[in-house]
Formats: sequence, C-alpha cells, structure tokens
Amino acid sequence: MTTLRAFTCDDLFKFNNINLDPLTETYGIPFYLQYLAHWPEYFIVAEAPGGELMGYIMGKAEGSVAREEWHGHVTALSVAPEFRRLGLAAKLMEMLEEISERKGGFFVDLFVRVSNQVAVNMYKQLGYSVYRTVIEYYSASNGEPDEDAYDMRKALSRDTERKSIIPIPHPVRPEDIE
Amino acid sequence: MLRHILVTSNMAARGHVQDPNDRRLRPIYDYLDNGNNKMAIQQADKLLKKHKDLHCAKADPSRQVLKAIGLQRTGKQDEAFSLAQEVATLEPTDDNSLQALTILYREMHRPELVTKLYEAAVKKVPLSEEYHSHLFMAYARVGEYKKMQQAGMALYKTVPKNPYYFWSVMSLVMQAISAQDDKLAQTMFLPLAERMVEKMVKEGKIEAEAEVQLYFMILERLGKYVEALDMVRGPLGEKLTSELQSRENKCMMMYQRLQLWPECNALSYKLLLKNPDEWQFYLSYFDSLFHLMDKSWSPPNEEEHCVEGPVQTTVAEAVKFVVDRMEEEDKKDSRPLRGPYMACLELIHRLRQRGCPDEEELGDPLELMLQFFGKFGDKPSCITDLKIYLHLLPPEQHTQFKNRLGDLVPLGEVGEDGFGFPGDTKVLQRHLCVCQLSRVLGLQHTLDTEGKLCLITELKAHYHYGLQFGKSCLKTELQFSDTYCLMVAHVYIDLWTETGDENMLWQCLGVLEEGLSYSPSNAQFKLLLLLLFCRLGAFQPVVDLYSSLDAKHVQHDTIGYLLTRYAGSLGQFAAASQSYNFSLRFFHSNQKDTSEYIIQAYKYGAFEKIPEFIAFRTRLNQSLHFAQVRTERMLLDLYTEADITSSLEESVKAMGLCPEEDDIPWDNMRDNRDLTVLFSWDPKDRELTEEHRRLSLEEESVWLKVRSLTLRLLASLALLGHAPSPRNSDKTNENGVSAKSSTLQTLLSQLDLTLQTAAQITEKQTQYPFLGPPSSRLASALSSGSCHCQASALQLSLTLQELETTGLDDSSELQTQICNSFKSLIVQLQELLSRCKGEVLEMKDSRLMTQPSLLETLVFFVETVCVVLWVASYSASVLRPLKSSLQKKKKKTKDSSTAMPVVLSGFQEWTGSLQGIVTQALDHVKGQEASLTALKLAALTLGVGHAQTQEECGFTRAAMDKVQTSYLGSLQELGDLLRKRADSLKSLKF
Repeated sequence: MTTLRAFTCDDLFKFNNINLDPLTETYGIPFYLQYLAHWPEYFIVAEAPGGELMGYIMGKAEGSVAREEWHGHVTALSVAPEFRRLGLAAKLMEMLEEISERKGGFFVDLFVRVSNQVAVNMYKQLGYSVYRTVIEYYSASNGEPDEDAYDMRKALSRDTERKSIIPIPHPVRPEDIE
Repeated sequence: MLRHILVTSNMAARGHVQDPNDRRLRPIYDYLDNGNNKMAIQQADKLLKKHKDLHCAKADPSRQVLKAIGLQRTGKQDEAFSLAQEVATLEPTDDNSLQALTILYREMHRPELVTKLYEAAVKKVPLSEEYHSHLFMAYARVGEYKKMQQAGMALYKTVPKNPYYFWSVMSLVMQAISAQDDKLAQTMFLPLAERMVEKMVKEGKIEAEAEVQLYFMILERLGKYVEALDMVRGPLGEKLTSELQSRENKCMMMYQRLQLWPECNALSYKLLLKNPDEWQFYLSYFDSLFHLMDKSWSPPNEEEHCVEGPVQTTVAEAVKFVVDRMEEEDKKDSRPLRGPYMACLELIHRLRQRGCPDEEELGDPLELMLQFFGKFGDKPSCITDLKIYLHLLPPEQHTQFKNRLGDLVPLGEVGEDGFGFPGDTKVLQRHLCVCQLSRVLGLQHTLDTEGKLCLITELKAHYHYGLQFGKSCLKTELQFSDTYCLMVAHVYIDLWTETGDENMLWQCLGVLEEGLSYSPSNAQFKLLLLLLFCRLGAFQPVVDLYSSLDAKHVQHDTIGYLLTRYAGSLGQFAAASQSYNFSLRFFHSNQKDTSEYIIQAYKYGAFEKIPEFIAFRTRLNQSLHFAQVRTERMLLDLYTEADITSSLEESVKAMGLCPEEDDIPWDNMRDNRDLTVLFSWDPKDRELTEEHRRLSLEEESVWLKVRSLTLRLLASLALLGHAPSPRNSDKTNENGVSAKSSTLQTLLSQLDLTLQTAAQITEKQTQYPFLGPPSSRLASALSSGSCHCQASALQLSLTLQELETTGLDDSSELQTQICNSFKSLIVQLQELLSRCKGEVLEMKDSRLMTQPSLLETLVFFVETVCVVLWVASYSASVLRPLKSSLQKKKKKTKDSSTAMPVVLSGFQEWTGSLQGIVTQALDHVKGQEASLTALKLAALTLGVGHAQTQEECGFTRAAMDKVQTSYLGSLQELGDLLRKRADSLKSLKF
C-alpha cells in the first residue's frame, strides 16, 4: 500500500532513509535535474501512508532505433531498509518496463555490482539475464579495488526474437559500452 | 569538459567541417581543460604574436578570449575582463568567440553579458537559428521572461518549429508565475498564453505531448478546470502517454478541484479495482464518499451514474468494497497486498471521526490489527503501518494487545537466562515488531529503572542471538537483529535522561559501537553515535562517522547540521572549517547548476519542471543551513586568523564583507534540515511535533541573527580602523568614517534588540525530543555572558571614536567613561572565564563524569577574547596618535609636569589586565590538558552492577578513549589560538 507518483525536487530533501544505504549513490544535483528535465516520466517515487519515502526508480530511454538498440535503462533503483520485502522494487521495475514498452523500446537494461547478490537474484526473478560483464565499472573510493558490473537485460515485446539479450561471452571495459 | 561543449556545438552548427581555426585552438583548449591555465595563456600569446601586424582582437578574437579564460582562472579577473570586452565591443559573430565568451562570462558570474553578446550577433545575422536560440537560452539563464517570450517568437518566425512557439508561451507562464501582482497573471499573461495555444489547436498544429502538458498547466493556473478536464478527456488528451495513468491522474485532480465527487468516487473505485494497493485512491475514494453522503447525493435513475461509471454513496457499500478487497487478498496464492487491510483501518478511523456507528461492521480494531500482524508482522514495515492506527485502541487495551501479539510469535524453549528465541528471521522480525509496538505504545517508558535494565538485558540477548542469522551477510548489508541493538540504545538514553546516570550513556555508546562492528553499514548506528558524541562534547569521532555515511551534495543541506552545529562550538576549528566547506561548495554550485537544467527543461519540453526547478533553487538559496554556514565560516576565519596571519581589516576586505549588507533572507528562511533522519519508536506524546520544528527554526534564526550581526559589527569595526595617514586632512575621508560609525551604531542597536528577543526565547527553555533537532547555541551563549561582553566591547569602540574627534583636551568625562568600560570588560571576561572552570572529564567513585558545557563556554570565552582584543587594537590605533601629539606638545612647551591623561594610563592598565586574563586562561587550559592526560581510564572498573560482557566493556572503553582524546584535541586547538592571541597583545604596548 503505497502511493506511486512522479519524483519531484522536494523529494531530494526527504530521501535520506533511502540514500544512506551504502550501495545507493547520492548524485550531484545536476544529475537528478538532468533526469527530471529529460525523462520525468521515468523517475518515480513510492510514498508510505505516513509520508515516508519508501523507494524510487530513476531511468531513461536511449539508443538507436535503427540499430534496434532503443531501450529503457534503469539508472537507480533503491528501497529503504524498512520497506524491503514488500515487492516494491518489482513494482517499480514493472512500471519502468511498461513505460519503455510504450516508447517502443526493444529491451530494458541495468548495471548491478557483481557482489550485490541480493539485487542480481531479484533481477533474475524479474526475468533479467546477464548480457555481459563490464570490468571495473564501479570505481571504489576507499582504496579498495574497482568492482565489475553485470549488464543485465530483459527483452520487451518489440524484440520478438529476443535478439537483444543474447549474452556476449567476453567481458567488456567501461569505455567500450555506449 | 570545456572542449567537449565547444566542439560538439561547433560540429552541430557546421556539419563536421574541420575549421583550421579549431585545429589551432585545440592546444589552448587542452591546456584549459587540464587546468594548466598558465600554459594556455602562453600558447594563446604565441599564436597571437604571429599576427601582431594586425589588431590582436580583430585578427584572432577567439584566441584572445581563450587567453582571457586562462587569465580569469589564474585569478587575474580585471585583465581577463578588459581583454574580453575588447572582443565583445567588436560584436563577434564567429562561434568560437561567442562560445568562449559565454563560458568566460559564466565563470565570471556575469551571465547578463551573454545576452548582450547574442543580441548583437542576432542583429548582425538575423536569420541564424542558432544565435536566436542562444539568445533565448541566455535570457533563460538570467530569468528575463519577457525577453524570452519575444526571443522565442522571433525564433519561431525565423524557423517555424513548434518548440520555439511553445518556448514563447512558456515564457508567458513564467511571467505569470513571477508576477508580483496576481491580477496581472490572471488577466494578462495567462489569458495571452491560453490564446496562443488555442490558436495552434484551432489550426491543428499541436504536435507533441509537451504542448498538451503546457496547455493543461495554463488552464489549471487560470482555474479553468472544466476546460482542462474537457481537454484531457478529448483528442488532445490522447497525446498524454509518457507518464503512466497520466490522463486518469489529471482527471482525478480536476474532479477534486471542481468537487465533482461522483466522478472522483467512480474513478477511484475503478482504479482501486485495477490496483488495490494504490493508497492515494483509497483516500480519494473515502473523501468523495463522505462528501456525497453529506450532500445526500443520489444517482440519477436510468443512465449511468456519471461519466466514470458507478458511484458508491453509502457506508454499507464502502464497507463491502473494503471487505471484498481483503477477501480477494486472502484468496490469493501470491504475496498479499497491504492496501486493503490498511484501508479497513483507515475506514474505521474515518467512521469514528464522524461518530458513525457502522464501524463495527468492519470488526474490532484490535482483532484487525492482530490480523494485520499475522499477515505482515514479518515485514520490517509492519511497525510503520500499524503506528498510524494505534490510536484506535483504547489505552486499557494496550497491554492486552501486546500480549496477544506475543502469542503470535513462536519463540523457542526458554533457556537459562529466562528467554526464548526465534527460530528464523521471520519470527525474529515479528518479535522485533512486538518490541517496537510496545515502545510506541509507551509500555517501555512506564517501566521503572530496574524494569528498563531488565528490558535491556532481554533485548541484548535477542540481539546477540539474532546475529547468527546474518553470519553470511555482506559488509553492505544490515544484520537481521540490528534493530534490537538500536532499541537497547534508546532504552539506555531513556535511563540516562531520566536518572542522569552517565554510566548509561557510556554503555549505550558501547552497545552501538559493538553493533557497528557487526554491521558496519548501519547508518542509524552511525547517526546515533554521532549525536551522542556531540552531546558529550566529543567531536573528533564524529568526523569519521559522518564521512563513513558518505553524505554528499543535497545531504549537506539536510543532515549537515549534525556536523556544523557542534564542530565549531566544541573548539574543533579545523574540522569545523572543513565541514563548512563541504556545505558551502554544494550551495555555491547550485546557482549555476540549476540554471543549466532550466534550459534543458525548455529544450526537452519538460515545462512543468521549470517552475519546480526555480522553486528548488530558491529553496536552496534560502536555506537556513546555507546562511548559517556562510556566516559561521567567516566568523571562524576571523577568530582563527584575523590579527594573526593578517590584520582584521585585511581579513574583512579579503572576504568582501560589507557591514551595510545583509544577504540573509530572514522572512523566507527555509528549514531544509531532515529532523527525522534518526529512527524513533517513541510514543506520540514524545514525538517531534510541528511546534518543535517551528521553535527550533525560530531559535536557530535568532542565533543566526546574533552571529550575523556580530560578523557585520566586526566588519564595521575593521573599517573604522584607519590608515596612519594624517588625520582630518581629508574631509571626505572623515565623512566616510562617521558614516561607518553610524553603521556601527545601527548594528549595535539591532544586536541589542536581538539579544532581548533571544532572552525571551531562552526563557521558554524548549526541550526537543532527544532524537530531534539539537538545541541551538543561543541559551549557552546568553548564560555564559559572552554576547553581552562582546556587545559592550563593540560599544566601546564607538566611544573611542568619539574621543578621536574630541581629542584629549576637554574630554575628561569621555575618558572616564572609557576607563570604566575597560574595567567593566575585565570583570565580564573574568566572570566568563570563571564559568569555564571545572573538570571537563573526571573519575568519581569509579565513574566517569563529563561536563561538556565547560568546553562550550571556553569556546565562547575564546571568541569573546578575540573580539575584545580587536577592540583593544582599535583603541591603540586611536590612542597612539593622540599620545604622540601630546608628547610633541610637551616637547614644545618643555612642560614635563602635566600628568598623563587618564585614558592613556587606563589603557595601559587594561592591556595589562587583558594579558593577565589570557595567561590565566592559558593556565586553565594547560591544567585541563594535564589532568586529562593523567586520567587513566584503564583503571576504571566497568560492568559493575549491570551485566556487561567483557566484549561490551571493550567497546565502552574504546568510546571513552575517543571522548578523552577528543577533549584533548579541543583543548589543544583552543590553547593554540589563545597563545596566538596572547602574541597579538604585545603589539598593543605603547
């Protein structure tokens, strides 16, 4: 039981319980404003009846239609610890997929830390599969080694043959991805 | 970055043609991008010299500008500016110059010059789509809405593309939003915008969703809800596809505005059937239902109830609807949704509010909540959900409720310690929820000390037991049983605040440190530790804790107060300086950042975001925290540097401080602090209220006013100090000085008024919830006497100024007055110092006791010493020339018998006393340092009385060590500053 609505600038002042999670990045203002200006429909927040923010998803549509690479991308998805295990992330993903369907995307993709098993398993349950591994995609700040990412994908109905999700066997470097 | 912007836009403009100029400019761009500004200047010079036969700017305007960028970035603003203006007066029309100048002006924070640039370019090349659009964006950056409207139209006339037309329309909307006079908005700007859109509609020219959105925005702002509704439902509405449920949401909004309750009800009903978890639609369903009942609305007989379908108008129908939804969930094999069950409680709540007896049909709230717990008790959100409806239970049911909940939690067999434990994480979560609920119900608070200690033992046992379930947890995950640990800490805090027993606090720190060792990512542990260390006056451990939270950007505004409230006030000046800088860096980038995205919103047609971005920028600019950090940052710089590394006057000038200027938005201050960032399961009567928030903002604002006036007074004092040039030789100079002294006078009376308000506020002795906002420094500042001492010192400078004009002859009254002030200041300082005396940390009967307030008072003392010494140095600058002219006179008249004027002897005596006080203070600090160092915490026996394991004792000890080290650190910084101040005293001798 949740109110799902468009994320607004004022929510930036209220999202600490979500963003103080170690795997949730707090970006600079330009980053959020860019998404709000360009893809406002892809930035959705869930609010509890008491007014607490429960979680949000932030995404965009990109890629070339001609090359059948036009797709929805999940930039950030996070749910506050106290609102986990309610299926909220799945609901938000479903919404992002629906928006991407409407835009005629071929697939939805996302990057996730290889070590974030909880998230990787959740995405697998939602129908995502590992498309490729991106080496040292996440740069660490505290002297620890950079971490690899899985690029995970799920085909949308436009990709009838599910060509977009055929895995690439060899890992790629961040500079090689678009 | 720089080249990226330039090159991409060049390519767009020219279609990938490689301009030979670009190639030669590249090395300069490279240097600028890499921050090698000096090389950039050299390179530009080199290329410019090749063409020295021609006029530089004419021959090579773009290189000239790139050189200017280099100059700007190496701090040569004036040179850069004049170089740029040389090019600008030529009214360039080449991309390279225009774009480089745009960047330069932006870096100079002169975006208004960009508009001039493109105005000229557009005049010269009137058919350029690019320059027109740059001109539009340049206006957008400075918020010139009227000119934007015209530029948009001019652009549309040059190139008839729809977006340009709608840029112009949006600029009209912005004129409406920003208009001071709402009438103007409603009768001129918005109707004009509406007509402009209507014209396009009639001509069938509407193309994009953004245009429809904008049309809707205009109609909504005009209050034309019927028209807006028709539009959304009509063919134009079909374009609203990007956002999910966009049309439904807009219709719902209009139904509510128009109070079309049948439609509102029917639509909510429909949407809930589709998604029975959408909370907002339950609310609109209930709202509309009761409105309809109040109006005794009855549906028309034959046709459909309304355009949205069937309408429900009776409680019976609503009850059935909610019960049906719950039954649907009950039948489901998959995870049930919380919505219907919460809706049931919400409906009871509303029926009860209306005194409607039908609530019984839904069942007993206690049973319903038990049912809810049965279904969702293993979710961490269960407490947050049930908390909202606990008021439905009468107080006499609370214990029964708790016990019945307990029956639903199957714990294992009771062991030696008397506790049974959960067998898996689901049961653990249920047990936790019961603990949380009993805390929210106030059942923990009513326990006596012994009861609370038993509760702690029980919760700790559960905490330690539960750790086994999370053995494979990653460092980034939370432990399943973390919440027990946090609750133990809360009970310890209850005990500490009730009994004053500091041991409770030490054990609390220990248990949190232990928790953090098992769950290093738990932000709540860190936040609470941080708060406790601050309350203890130990700032050093806070630095690491805060940085491990990885708070960034906007979080500096929302939780930065946790750092900045304490760092400076505890004498950790270096850390304070750093934490102010974190916040300031964020705020300063805001202005530039947001303008950029306002422009992007025009480009992408996200029109509804434009007023939102502007409001956001305003909210940041008017932030209380922003005003606080910029004031404290400057004060801190003065306290730590003025008259040490450079004179007060130089410091003030370097900061660009102007005493007449007040840049704090007193009437529109925004409190962006996140005051509920720390979890709390306190009962309602102990929770943070709106009144607390209001009082905290009031208190912080008054304290800020005291600080900001102090700062401006210091600036004013600095400017009173004059160059050693002969006095009164220049009439205008004298006028300047008296203008300054009148500023000083005005500010002093403002300070006086503010201190009166402050006294009234502190009389209220507002207590905030422990986990809510910290109290401001106001109360301790007032009770220490530092504010009044500083005010009298500054007042003295005015009297001295008077003496300066009067001279030594015929001023005996004035002189006596000054001498009395000297003496009174000494008394005040002495009193202030005596309030610092005592042991900040000591062991008594094998207990460790703290008095952090001594540290705070010492900081006030040091700040006050700084102010008094600046006034002393001003005094010296006034008296020195008076003395020397007196000596000259003596030599002339060969009169050696005249006694020294009282003010001169008084001053000498005063500086002597000041020296004495500073020495005393230094001795005190040294003494404190010595006794702190001598304190052997290892000698403390811990765990006496309350069962603390060996391990827990270890963590408590570690926390104690941190506090001890931090106190030492504060004392060292304070001592260092005092010593430097003592040095500056020497220069006062004459």
